[in-house]
Amino acid sequence: MASSQVVKALIVDDNAMIRRIHMTMLFRFGFEITEVEDGKKAIDQFLDGNEYDLVLMDKEMPNMDGVEATRTLRGMGISTKIVAITTDSNSMGAFLDAGADEFILKPLNFPALADILKGFNFLN
Amino acid sequence: MDYVNLRRQAASLRKSLFDQGYLDEQFYQLEDLQDDASPNFVEEVVTLFFRDSARLMANIDQALDKCVKDFNKLDVYMQQLKGSCTSIGASRLKTECTFFRECCRDENIEGCMRSFQKIKREHSVLRQKLESYFQLLRQAGPIECATRPSK
Repeated sequence: MASSQVVKALIVDDNAMIRRIHMTMLFRFGFEITEVEDGKKAIDQFLDGNEYDLVLMDKEMPNMDGVEATRTLRGMGISTKIVAITTDSNSMGAFLDAGADEFILKPLNFPALADILKGFNFLN
Repeated sequence: MDYVNLRRQAASLRKSLFDQGYLDEQFYQLEDLQDDASPNFVEEVVTLFFRDSARLMANIDQALDKCVKDFNKLDVYMQQLKGSCTSIGASRLKTECTFFRECCRDENIEGCMRSFQKIKREHSVLRQKLESYFQLLRQAGPIECATRPSK
């Protein structure tokens, strides 16, 4: 877990609308949110010393896609829970091989997110 | 101003959007996320959708104008557009995006062109209807206005 009591999430998606929706969902659970628009910026967040408890990772993004970002984070020794959220059903194998903890197809709905967060013990 | 009537008009327009297949249950998910902390959440998300989708459609237009058609690029753009449509529950648009992608896979340029024209029409109609809907809601004001007793 991140060092503070607040649960911190990083939303990684190049679509501002999707980030807005996911942000609002996570706010409902009391998460502190940071959002970035591509995989490289997600890596930079961790390189800058930021800590997160959860990453919601899209697949298709400019500069660095979600599979590569996931693989890079795991290679850096980052053990944060990573949930791949994408419309590309064919990318599940690639994401899980890269080290994602969960894979879910868009659109993300609130009950599905709650189930995932419960599975990670983020909800008491 | 007759707030009750405005609310009734808004409700009727909203119902027609679902009955006519413009929106699906994903839109309910957005409505469920709207609360006092985010009172204009749905309208904000819809605004972002139309901004993003207009950009994607401009990219698709440019790609279709090129002499040499890059079906892979067209498919990527349309996958992005379909993803956005799915996330706000724009059901008819989503269906047409799927058809466009099938035309890409078949390298059927005429099919792509026809489908894209339909996407542009559906996009325009949905935009008009949702703009009317949110305008009615703004005119109607918060529910307290509709129930405030007249002096």
